Amino acid sequence: MADVIALRERAGAIEVRGVEHVYAGAAGEVQALAGVSLAVEPGRFTVIVGPSGCGKSSLLMMMAGLRRPTRGSILCDGQPVSGPDPDRIGVMFQDASLFPWLTAADNVEFPLAIRHMPKEERRRRAAEMLRLVGLEGFEARYPHELSGGMKQRVSIARGLAQDPPVLLMDEPFAALDEQTRMTMGAELLRIWSQTRKTVVFVTHSLTEAVYLADEVLVMSPRPGRILDRIEVGLPRPRTYEMMATDAFGRLRDRIWRQIQTAA
Amino acid sequence: MTRIGLILARLSLIAMLLAAWEALPLYGLVNARLLPALGDVLTALGGIVARPEFASDLATTLSEILVAFAISVPAGAALGMLVAESDYAAEVLKPIFLFVLSIPKSIFLPLMILAIGIGFWQKVAYGMVSTIFILIMGAASAVESVRADHLLVARAYGASRTQMVARVYLPSMLPVLLETLRIAMIFNFTGVILAEMYASRTGLGHLIASWGENFMMPQLLAGVLLVAAMAILFNEAIRWLETRCSAWRT
Repeated sequence: MADVIALRERAGAIEVRGVEHVYAGAAGEVQALAGVSLAVEPGRFTVIVGPSGCGKSSLLMMMAGLRRPTRGSILCDGQPVSGPDPDRIGVMFQDASLFPWLTAADNVEFPLAIRHMPKEERRRRAAEMLRLVGLEGFEARYPHELSGGMKQRVSIARGLAQDPPVLLMDEPFAALDEQTRMTMGAELLRIWSQTRKTVVFVTHSLTEAVYLADEVLVMSPRPGRILDRIEVGLPRPRTYEMMATDAFGRLRDRIWRQIQTAA
Repeated sequence: MTRIGLILARLSLIAMLLAAWEALPLYGLVNARLLPALGDVLTALGGIVARPEFASDLATTLSEILVAFAISVPAGAALGMLVAESDYAAEVLKPIFLFVLSIPKSIFLPLMILAIGIGFWQKVAYGMVSTIFILIMGAASAVESVRADHLLVARAYGASRTQMVARVYLPSMLPVLLETLRIAMIFNFTGVILAEMYASRTGLGHLIASWGENFMMPQLLAGVLLVAAMAILFNEAIRWLETRCSAWRT
């Protein structure tokens, strides 16, 4: 009984069962995903890492309900994901994908406006989210007035605006320069520790994967499947110094070897 | 260079040209029969505007322009969206539209007169033919300017079909649409005036053509000034809208 209550309070479990994805390419059918199964516990930070074209982004889009698997099913808190469900799942894309005609605050309000939340409440919520991502005072700026890192912060704020238990992130920092990328990784961990969302984060950077994750899922080249699950186990909060430790290096090597062997 | 400095530079350039226009014929440096002084042209303009027939000529031209625009804008927008939304329609129609777009429309004027006769609808038809292919192409590229990732974001946040149109399609398309309207109007205006000059008994184009034939230079130049002012006014009005609606553009 106690367990049931605990589960209900900490919603945001994701389960992927035997998902396959086949699409029609130029040279006939292409199998992108071959029988992927995984489970993400509520509040955990899971990173999916794999070579380009392994189908990791497709998998994430399926978790978001934006694409349908050819076979298999995806469950969020035990219920099948049949389409976009912004109350349960927030999504962040590779380039921040902000609407250039809306201010930072209006972009964060977008998901709330779609659900017809009253203007005043929306304003307050957007201000709160922008404060959380460290962009207080930038409410009225347009995206073209923001740096790449700031745009991604707005995008995180937009993903959190509806307070969904799950946040899916598709290589959100891939287009940023190395320094901004490091800063944003640290920022994301700070925000995550304050909100305790279930995060599924897709990347091709091994360092980013080990630095961010509770658990790293390693995917093979196409057709993508899960090669290995690695429990990171480094203490939190994670620091920049940890990257130079042996433990960090061993974890990164293990992922690298998995990908090497499969390729 | 400040903004005020630029405006001053522009204004003084225009003032110099106008002053030259006034001075050159007065001092006999150009033939005053070919280029009457600005003052004489303005006097002629006052005379034209004061004549009671003028209002009806102006009304004729304006209504031809507006009716042609009112028909071709929705028709062109609908066809343009069809081309943008349906791959099949695009494959079939796009090359044909491009071919027609490249033809000088004036070669169809005699045909139209034979088919429709001389009158209001002939001017409207010619205005439409001059405009509609630009509108089709403009509307199609406006739809194509909507970014796929923006649609994906809207879908991920559960936007309905109507919300997609109102919150993503329209704001994305607005800059291209306004630009298309502006350019289409230039061609529409040109088309209607040309049709009036070619064969008509009414309208500003007819007045300008007949002043030319009768070598009435002050009136002819007054007509040129008038039509130019109307065209610039409309163009600037849309440009003002464009800047207001696209504060977000870099």
